[in-house]
Amino acid sequence: MSALVHTITVTDPIGLHARPVGQIVTLVREKGATVTLRSASGAEGLATSALKMLALKVKTGETLAIVVESAGSSDPDTLAHDIERLINQG
Amino acid sequence: MELTGIGVGSHAAVGDVFLLTTSDEVFEHRKSTHTPSEEASILGTAIATTAATIRDEASSGDATTQEILDALLIILEDPELQEMARPHLESGADAPTGLFRALDEFAELMGDDEDFQSRVADLRGIAARISAWIRGLAAGPGIPAEGSWIVVAEDLTPLETSQFGDSVVGVITELGGPTSHTAIICRALGIPALVSATGAMTLEQGSSVLMDPEGNRAVVGGELSSATTAISFIASADAPLITVRANIGGLADAEKAAETAARGVGLFRTEVLHLSSSTMPSVEEQATLYTEVLKAAPAGKIIIRTIDAGSDKPVPFLSIPREDNPALGVRGFRLTAEHLDFQRSQLTAIAQAINATGRDVGVMAPMVSTVSEVREFAALCDDAGITQVGIMIETPAIVPVMADLEGLLSFVSIGTNDLSQYLFAADRMHPHLGALNDPWQPGLLRTVAAIAESARKLKIPAGVCGESAANPLLSIVFAGLGIDSVSVAPSAVDAVSTALSAVDSTTATKAAKRALAASTPNDAEAAVRALFS
Repeated sequence: MSALVHTITVTDPIGLHARPVGQIVTLVREKGATVTLRSASGAEGLATSALKMLALKVKTGETLAIVVESAGSSDPDTLAHDIERLINQG
Repeated sequence: MELTGIGVGSHAAVGDVFLLTTSDEVFEHRKSTHTPSEEASILGTAIATTAATIRDEASSGDATTQEILDALLIILEDPELQEMARPHLESGADAPTGLFRALDEFAELMGDDEDFQSRVADLRGIAARISAWIRGLAAGPGIPAEGSWIVVAEDLTPLETSQFGDSVVGVITELGGPTSHTAIICRALGIPALVSATGAMTLEQGSSVLMDPEGNRAVVGGELSSATTAISFIASADAPLITVRANIGGLADAEKAAETAARGVGLFRTEVLHLSSSTMPSVEEQATLYTEVLKAAPAGKIIIRTIDAGSDKPVPFLSIPREDNPALGVRGFRLTAEHLDFQRSQLTAIAQAINATGRDVGVMAPMVSTVSEVREFAALCDDAGITQVGIMIETPAIVPVMADLEGLLSFVSIGTNDLSQYLFAADRMHPHLGALNDPWQPGLLRTVAAIAESARKLKIPAGVCGESAANPLLSIVFAGLGIDSVSVAPSAVDAVSTALSAVDSTTATKAAKRALAASTPNDAEAAVRALFS
């Protein structure tokens, strides 16, 4: 099965920061999913690692690809949109 | 001994000083007496155990604190962090040393990421508890569950405030301001606090202290009976001395405001509607949003502020580049140069919403500092068919040139938060500068008086829409200074309306005179308070 790639623009005023990152780890673990975030520069971080996601240093206005390799107990499209909502909740 | 600062809350309390400091032993770098694998396993267990304890302590707290703590714990629990600690363990460090070094390395990797750097102290605070657990030292602050304690610290983090139980009856911090984390949490918990209290750390462990937030002080050995009593105003007139309006950011606020005594809206922050729009909303989309809000807003005049964005408050569709000094950068009306199309479309949409609802609406521009900018804004409003034009008074530069605005404006509104930070050149968010942003500062009050006088000469009304007006005593002072209306958060409307219905103009003028005569913020507040107690 090929991965679903959902590309978003980060609109949260402080970019991809600690709070949503924590919520993403919790969500992805809960669903037993495999998700990677890829920044515009091509750097990647597994969505189960808060440190790796923070290290992408994604700022407001930058694009970010949410790559859902497997959605676990969720479906790929819903999971990608749930993650987008966590990132751009601010 | 007496400490002065900025009081939070209104009830007094007496308790014993509990100094929040962490033993240096927790942080010291030590060599391991075990193998690297044993240290790695100790670290894993310590992180898991401490995280569970902290989650348990926070479980009774507020949701925001829980979310922030959870995010911090998830960072510390990340196996990547233990991987980063591993090389240090291999070269003979003990588990806590490896953890501190890994955190330092990660913080360095994050560079100038402001959100992360603002969390580093909290992460180190949690790491300190992990270290204390491993080394068998007194873990964390360990505030006893019994007794009545006044927690004293430089400043408090969410990790620390989340451990507050019933035994904490007061808080004193050296740093922080009226809007700092400590002040917000203490207000939410109903615990009196004194922030920005110079000399707090010289208080002696265990000494009895009176918290007197209404008096903006804490007194060593003070008795409850000597505390300043809160003033309770009883309305004697049918209507407040000056109009009280509500500050809103969207439909939900407008509905909330409509349930209060607010006579209209004194500040509708339009940027709030657009913070998550990634493409520029069309005139029709904007008009629909504004119409909804105008319909729901409380009866009375409505003042709409055009978009107030900046690089620290970005609106995605107006690409605003990062700036070193966002408060002094391209923000508010200054965006017009780059984004004239949007400015025009917003004014057109507002005009359509006014026509659709028939509401009495004034439109004002934020962050204006020259006469030319006022002329430009007035011309844009004229093009859009908007007749009631105003500006925010928030830069000191516009104050001395107000006389030149004759015929251009229908009203002005003072944003005291920004006016303070620009008058005092003191960042509103800076933990050391809370005292300079105190709304009782004579420099601010005398500037407000000058603005009211200039507006009187222009024969236009002047309002105050900053946080400061939410303080009932200050709202009375503003009325006495000649301000025509105040606008406050919906939650503060009723208290301010009651206070302004309890005084006549003679009393308000007297309050204003007393405030203007004082040379320090505390003297100004005390002199005004004395009028009512």
